[in-house]
Amino acid sequence: MILRPFEYVESKTVDDAVAALQGGGEDARVIAGGTALVPLMKHSVLRPSLLVSIARVPGLAEIAPGVSGGLRIGTVTTHWAVSHAPLVQERSPLLAYACSRVASPTVRSMGTLGGNLCYGESASDPSPALLALRASVRLHGPGGARIVPITEFFTGFYETALGDAEVLTGIDVPAMPAGARWRYLKWTPRAQEDKALVGLAAMLVLDGRRCRVARLAVGGVGASPIVLTRAEQALEGQELDEATIARAADAAAGEVEPMADLQGSAEYRRDMLRVWVRRVVGDLAEGRTS
Amino acid sequence: MPVVALTVNERAVRVDVAGHWTLIQLLRDGLGLLGTKEGCGEGSCGACTVLVDGRLTRACLALAVRADGARVTTIEGVGTDAELHPIQDAFVRHGAIQCGFCTPGLIITTKALLDENPRPTDHEIREFLSGNFCRCAGYNMILNAVRDAAGLLTERR
Repeated sequence: MILRPFEYVESKTVDDAVAALQGGGEDARVIAGGTALVPLMKHSVLRPSLLVSIARVPGLAEIAPGVSGGLRIGTVTTHWAVSHAPLVQERSPLLAYACSRVASPTVRSMGTLGGNLCYGESASDPSPALLALRASVRLHGPGGARIVPITEFFTGFYETALGDAEVLTGIDVPAMPAGARWRYLKWTPRAQEDKALVGLAAMLVLDGRRCRVARLAVGGVGASPIVLTRAEQALEGQELDEATIARAADAAAGEVEPMADLQGSAEYRRDMLRVWVRRVVGDLAEGRTS
Repeated sequence: MPVVALTVNERAVRVDVAGHWTLIQLLRDGLGLLGTKEGCGEGSCGACTVLVDGRLTRACLALAVRADGARVTTIEGVGTDAELHPIQDAFVRHGAIQCGFCTPGLIITTKALLDENPRPTDHEIREFLSGNFCRCAGYNMILNAVRDAAGLLTERR
């Protein structure tokens, strides 16, 4: 399978990339790892006349400590690099693990965290983790820079809050609270490298059996990855007994609008989400964290 | 036509490419290295897997112009005609090859696995090779070959 011809620009700075995108018209696209964009171009879903690479902009592949024990991750950091970085494993094991479950080893060593988010796919593995962690993304465009909470970044089916000629430059990940219990559950009914039918990220902070903080987010179920707000509310402040956990699972199943595709029907997705919220929260409540 | 200067299998080369070529076109059409196979052409099957700067790469998804300055290892750079690499030898002895189309990608991926993790568990082998499809479906022989190769490589250290 071959690509149609296109112009290609290797940006030296983020400002270069923004300027090239502005001059390139509506069908100009940013490219980093290419694992999402190139297949879409091969299938002619997208026919960009200009590709603006940000892969070699200095500093965009760095992982650095953020404020208050958090992380700052450059946009073109690969999934492989995120999952293998000791700093991420120490400060945000939930994100490190979610990135280790993206597709296959080869795709993980090419694909980038920023590219994964900008693709806006529901069944992204890092997205629910970053939603549960309440991360933010840094966007840089013609009007300057802005920071957008990731809870406001995914706006619909393969749609994001990225504006015209705007580039995602980095991801700010807050520290996980001391003693947090976490899990990323990737339910793929067929094979290891499949996309998640349910990709559930969970982080709980408990005092004994009482839930102080509940963070739940899911990808692969609805049109975009979302926070399971009602399920979180059903857990926070409560003793985590069987009935409470079942109420949270029902709340999660009730607050999603599942898609149907070849992997599973909408009702199957809803049922599997209910099952996995119940099991994952139950496990975390019992201290079974892996 | 852009010229890409890179190192392929320890040899410095300059290749004329079209701006919209992928790395597999550079390797096969530009350099005549036909060991790397194009299976699905969309990054799913793993047949075209090569190493770029030591990292696993789908040659069907990587843009050729991006390879400028890179060090690429293809199946032609693994073992020699006179002496097979221990991974290749294990694949032959275990019959882990049927039609052979997925084999170059599997050998490269196995090499990356064993470079990173010389004594993988069966689960780790299966997980690492999960992006390499064999449509003859000789997966058990492949698993046996990788296990065996892991033992061989460790003994030689």
